[in-house]
Parts: sequence; C-alpha cells; structure tokens
Amino acid sequence: MDLFGSYALLLAFAFALYAIFGGIAAIITRRPLLIKSARNAGFAVCVLIWMGIGSLWYLFFTDNFSMAYVAAHSNRALSPYYKFSALWSGQEGSLLFWSFLLSIYVFSALFAYRGKHPELMPYVGVVLAGVQIFFLTMNNFIASPFQVLVGPGAGGILHLATRADGSGLNPLLQYPEMAIHPPTLYSGYTGFTIPFAFALGALLGRYPGEKWIHLTRRWTMIAWAFQSAGILLGAHWAYAVLGWGGYWGWDPVENASLMPWLTGTAFLHSVIMQEKRGMMRVWNVWLVFLTFMLCILGTSLTRSGAVNSVHAFAESNIGHWFWGFLLLIVIVCVAAYLKNRDYLRSDNQLDSMLSRESSFLFNNLILLVACIAVLAGTLFPVLSEAVRGSKISVGPPFFNRVNIPIAMFLLFLTGVGPLLAWRKTSVESLRKNFGFPLIGGIVAAAIAVALGLREFYVTLCLLLSVFVTLTILGEFYRGARVISARTGSNIFSSAAQLTMRNTRRYGGYVVHFGMVLVFIGISGQAFNQDKQMDMSAGSEMTLGPYNLYLQNYDTTSEANYSAERATIDVEKNGRSVMMLYPTRRFYPSNQESGTMVAIASTLREDLYVVYAGTNPDTNLPVIHAYLNPLVKWIWLGGAVVVLGTILALLPNRQAVMVLSTAAAGQSAPVPGSAHAAPVSYSARSQLPDGHD
Amino acid sequence: MTKRRRLALICAACVGLASSLVPLHVEAQKTERGKSLGAKLMCMCGCGQILTQCNHINCPSSGPMLKELDAHVVKGEADDLIVQDFVQEYGEKVLSAPPTKGFNSIAWYIPGVAFAIGLGIVITLIRLWRQRDVARLATASGAPAIPHTAASDLREVQLERARRQADRDTED
Repeated sequence: MDLFGSYALLLAFAFALYAIFGGIAAIITRRPLLIKSARNAGFAVCVLIWMGIGSLWYLFFTDNFSMAYVAAHSNRALSPYYKFSALWSGQEGSLLFWSFLLSIYVFSALFAYRGKHPELMPYVGVVLAGVQIFFLTMNNFIASPFQVLVGPGAGGILHLATRADGSGLNPLLQYPEMAIHPPTLYSGYTGFTIPFAFALGALLGRYPGEKWIHLTRRWTMIAWAFQSAGILLGAHWAYAVLGWGGYWGWDPVENASLMPWLTGTAFLHSVIMQEKRGMMRVWNVWLVFLTFMLCILGTSLTRSGAVNSVHAFAESNIGHWFWGFLLLIVIVCVAAYLKNRDYLRSDNQLDSMLSRESSFLFNNLILLVACIAVLAGTLFPVLSEAVRGSKISVGPPFFNRVNIPIAMFLLFLTGVGPLLAWRKTSVESLRKNFGFPLIGGIVAAAIAVALGLREFYVTLCLLLSVFVTLTILGEFYRGARVISARTGSNIFSSAAQLTMRNTRRYGGYVVHFGMVLVFIGISGQAFNQDKQMDMSAGSEMTLGPYNLYLQNYDTTSEANYSAERATIDVEKNGRSVMMLYPTRRFYPSNQESGTMVAIASTLREDLYVVYAGTNPDTNLPVIHAYLNPLVKWIWLGGAVVVLGTILALLPNRQAVMVLSTAAAGQSAPVPGSAHAAPVSYSARSQLPDGHD
Repeated sequence: MTKRRRLALICAACVGLASSLVPLHVEAQKTERGKSLGAKLMCMCGCGQILTQCNHINCPSSGPMLKELDAHVVKGEADDLIVQDFVQEYGEKVLSAPPTKGFNSIAWYIPGVAFAIGLGIVITLIRLWRQRDVARLATASGAPAIPHTAASDLREVQLERARRQADRDTED
C-alpha cells in the first residue's frame, strides 16, 4: 500500500505538470481539445491525490510500522478516532492533507465551471495546477509521508525495518477537537487558492468586467467561514488542552491564521464596491493576492522554525521551499499586474464622505492596519535578531495594546456601515438612523459604569456592542415592517422572509452580530481571576463565588495512557452545584504528559480547573483554578458567524420568485409563498434591499 | 466613661485595627504588583508564555524567576529597576513587549505609521474621487441639450421615478 500511495502521488505530479503545460499550450493555441485535455488532467490529479491519502489512512489503520511516518505518529493502542487524525499530526502528513483539501476545491471548481467561461477557465486551471505542483513536489520529493523505515543489516547494508509498535500521537493532539480543527483551518487556507486563481487568471487573460468577482464570491465566503471556524476551534483547543486558562496567546501560529482572515474579511467587504459601483478593481485583485500570500507566509513562518510556537507540530527545514514559492507568487503577481494593469482601470467616483463607499474604505484601512500590526509583531523578533543580533520577545502585552483600539474602531464601523447609503447619506437620515442605537449604547454603558464598571475598553466595547446590535435589529425591523404591512404576516415571519429575499445582506448582518458576541466574550478577559494551591483531600479553595473542595485524587489506567484525577466538589452559596474531574494524563509510548481541563461553562462565566501535577516538595496535587467571565459568548459568537455565512451563501429566494413569476408572465402565484399572491416588481421595489 | 476616654478608646481601636490590616494590605499589594510585573516578563523556558502564565509544574525557569520577582517586590524596589534587573540577567528577550526606546521601539510605531499612511491615502482617494465626480457633473451640465421629444419626456419621468425609488431604498 505504501508503493500504491507513492505511485499515486508521483502520477498526480506528472498529471499536474501536464495540466500546467497543456493548459499553457491550450491558451496559446486556443484548441478546444487541448483545453479539455488539460482540464481532465486537473481532474486526474485530484483523484490520484485522493488515492494517495486513502492509502496513507489505510497504513495508519492497519498499524503498518514499517512506514516511518506511521511509526512516528501512531501506536497500536491509539483509538481509531485518533488514528484518523494522526494523519495530519506531522509535517509530511499535514502537507499531503493540504494537497488533499486543495484537490477537493480544485475538483469542485473545475467541475462546476466545466464547459463555461472558455476565456477564463484555462488560465484558472493553469494557476491551480501551478499551486498543486508546489505541494505535490513537497509530497513526492521533499517531505514524503511514504518513507519506509530502514535499519543497518549485515555488512553495513541498509535493510527495510519494522517496529513492533509506534511512538504514539503527541498527547496535546489527543483531544476530540483535533479531528476537526486542522481540517477546518486548512480548508480555510486552501480555499483562498480558488479566488486567487480566478483573480490571477482574470488578470492574465484580461477577462472583461466583474464576472470573476461574481464567480469567486461564494468560494471566498466558504474559505472565510472555514478560516473563521478554524481559528475559533484552535482557540477552543488551546483553552481546553494547554491548561493555561486562556484561549488566545498571540502565538505566531495563531497570528498566521489571523492575518489572511483579516485581509479576506477586507476583500469580502470591498468586493461589494466593485460589484455595485465598479470601483476598486486594483485593490480587490491585490487583496486576493495578499490573502493567498499570507496563507503561504504563515505556513512558511511556522514550518521554517523562524518563529517559535506552541501550536507548531510540523516544524522542520522545509521552510525555504515555502519562502521560494512565496517569492515566485510575488513575482508572478507583480508581473501580471504590471503587464495588464490597464485592464483594472476603474472609474472611481464618490459623491460624499458620508457614504457606504467611504465606510468600506475605512473598514479596509482598519482591517489592513490590524493585519500589519499582527505581522509586525510576529516578524519583529526575526528582524531584531537580523539587525541587532539578539532576539526579543513580542508577547500579548504588545498585541493587546496595539490591537484593542483597532478592534474598537472596527466594531464602531460594523455599526455605522449599514446606516450609510450608497453614494450619499443625508445628515438628517444619519441622525434618524444613528439616534436610537447610539442612545441605547450610551445608556447601557452608563448603567454599567453606575454598577461599578471601571475598565475603559470594556465599557467602550459594551457601548459599541449595544450600538451595533441595535443597528442590526433596526435594519431587520425596518425591512420586516414593510413586508408585514404588505402581507399582513407577523414581524418575525416577515423578518424571515426579508432575510431569504436578500440572504447576502441579512446573512452579513447575522455575521456582524456573531462578531459582537465574540467581542463581548473577549471583553470578559479583563475580569479573569485565578488561584493555585497544593490541595490535600478535604482541603478547600475559594475563587469568586465558588468553594472548591478536593474530595480525593486517584489514578486510573487506560490502554493508551495512565491518569491522575482529582475529584472536586464545587459549592456556590453553600450549596453543592457540581463535581469536576480535572485530569493529568501520562502517555508511556512517548513519555509525555497532557492535561484534561475540567470546565464548568455558563453564559456568565467559566470555572476552569486544571490538575497541574504533583508538587514534589509536598507530594500534594497542585490545583489551578480560573474564573473566566463570558468565555462561552466567544464560542456562541463563532457559531453565529458560521451560521450567518451559511445564510449568506444561500441563493436569494426573491430572485427565484421574480424569475418564476417572469417566466409565468408575471401573473402566476408564487409557489411556496405564504400568500399566493402574484409577485410584481413594484412589490419588490418597496423593500430597502437595494444595498448590501 | 468620660468623653475623652471614649474617644481615646475608639482611636486605639482604630489604630489597632489599622495596624492589623497593614500586613494584609502589603501582601495584597505585593501580589498585585507581582502579577503586574510578571506580565511584563516572559518565562525563559522556551514555552513562549508570560511569566505569570507559565503553567509547567517544576518549570526550571518560571519557579526561580517568580521567586526572584517576589524578592525584589518585598525589598520594595521600583518597577523599572526590577525589570532592568531581569533584562541584565536574561537579556531583552525577557521582556514580554518590545522596549519603547532604541531600535526595538520601531515595533510600536509600525501600526501607527501604517494607520497614518493609510488614512492619508483614504482621504486623498476620497477627495480625488469626489473631484472626479464634480468634474463629471460639470461636463454633463455643459453638454449640449438633448432635443426635446415625447420619448425623452417619458424617459425623464422614468428616470426621476427611479431616482426617488433609489433614494428611498438607500435612505431607509
């Protein structure tokens, strides 16, 4: 099976070469057969990669410890669930997994647009094959997961070897979320390849108009949703496994995932300007390029070992390959832009400073500054070492101080943006729309201050969160009221109809609301408390309103690990409310330990208890307890963000209705509608859905 | 009990209470100061965590470093001196954020400079685009009038209706 996998990947590499050179020849000669042939080669590459990864999974599940990668990342006692996720736990496997996810995107894009856009797709195919060639080069020649174990035999000749058992999976990765978090995050990274390929393809082929923007919008949203979910799942993993009481430490790997998310978010906003007004063509193309470059840069940083990270499980000396690839991408993008920049010329016009267009410009500015701040903080230790010869640390105090004001400004714009109209907003309209949300925010902040809140940024965050929430509710209410008045349905049903008529706009508002929840959750960090104690059985620790009684501690043994476990009775207001079982595991296969944190989570706060180990001086278990307010809001906000994105991805029901009505001579009843009344264009025009 | 005696007794009780609270107060301050100073320092074991957040039991670095920090705090040394002492012992890498002086202070300026440049570009763009819009309108108003016909009247009415509709759509 190892040979099968190796050959599959080698064949994939060969087909990818054909896809790129055949694609170039097809572009030059314009021969339809060649175009089709290059596209089919693209399909073949994907299928062969799937075969390759399938064979590696097979080797994991059959405990084939003659394979170096399997022996290094699995063992017999490992549960099938973790054998599945062990595939991406190391350098070679994670790169193959990257190729695998990329191939799913490539296959989907080639399949979805087969036979369509003949002037654009050959270029797109060539760019996609180019990216695939890089990763297949890594999979085949630089970091192959199909290397066999060898040992010295008689006469110093190397022989194939096998191990009785493997080294096992890193304990930090033996957590259920590790089967979801890397695929989600990688799906985000790889997903940005599609808009990149379309943007570069459109630029190289001088594809007219904004068509490529329409084609890639959904792909970008899918990648963005995966990236968002991946980042939050990573934060949750760090929170639940690393046992330091936090979820975000501004670690280089975390920063690497945040940077393309920031530029991707900027693109999702500024692309609306191009769609609606034909503006910012150059900017949008460069935002897509930048987002893809940042995906590769982040990977280069963490895989090259240029920066240290607790999240980097695949560090090695392959970083220079990624740097080389990044350099090549920069050269290609710059050359394509210089050659065809006249194609991107747009007639940018702005009627007023108080307009949706300016709010998007400021939104892009803030997101890009946030990205630059994160990049500067991540790279500065490397720069300092290069210039001064000594490395410095850039830790959370720097990132928090720099990024919190930026985040507040962004939150403010989230509220302001929807209140501004395209082209020009009158001061009167602004006052009318701003008034209620702003007063609501100020009242909420005043109440919080009166109740004793003294943290400036938390108060500001509360004010802006209420402001944004009221703005969003106002948008839903105003639209729903119009529908309700026309159809007679209640306001909630009308709001649902409204949402389905313009899913992109109202899905976007749901995403904004999710971000508000995330911001509220993060603001709770200002009130974190913690306490650490050596606890004997029967001893007590008080933290906030909770009393923690250590009832006993015991040891258990499982197939893959042994565990020390504390049993803690938690009392609140003199009443026992729950039992917590923080655990510390020891994995004999790789002689490493890991924590299983006990978390009692409510919307108000998380009681987070860590069995930190045994103090050798006292021989007592060390219990570290944290009281982290509002953390659950972050995960809840993340779920809302993903739901909002899914909503925004759905097709507009309105469009379907209009088309079906038009097809039926504008007089047929609307199928599935609550009121089987004919839909007319005048009914649509009553709705404020002209701007999103 | 005379008034003076009662007053003296109350004063003595207050002093006694205050003196009993002093050590507690000092302890609390020490802890808060320790936490605040610990947040300015990194653990040097390579975990990449803030000194007070390093959660490795028997960590070869954080334990001794925290004891050292406590000793400085108990001596009542100034914050800057304590931090400088750590820098001398471990190098600048011990600081959790770049210093605000010298070459490394550049890190602090980068986001601000980026914002200032970006803001300048955005404002310039907005002005430029507005000027372009004004120029476009001026050109349009200077253009020869379209011959007046019934069809152009109808188009004008339709255009005006569409304009009003667009206003409603975007203002509401």
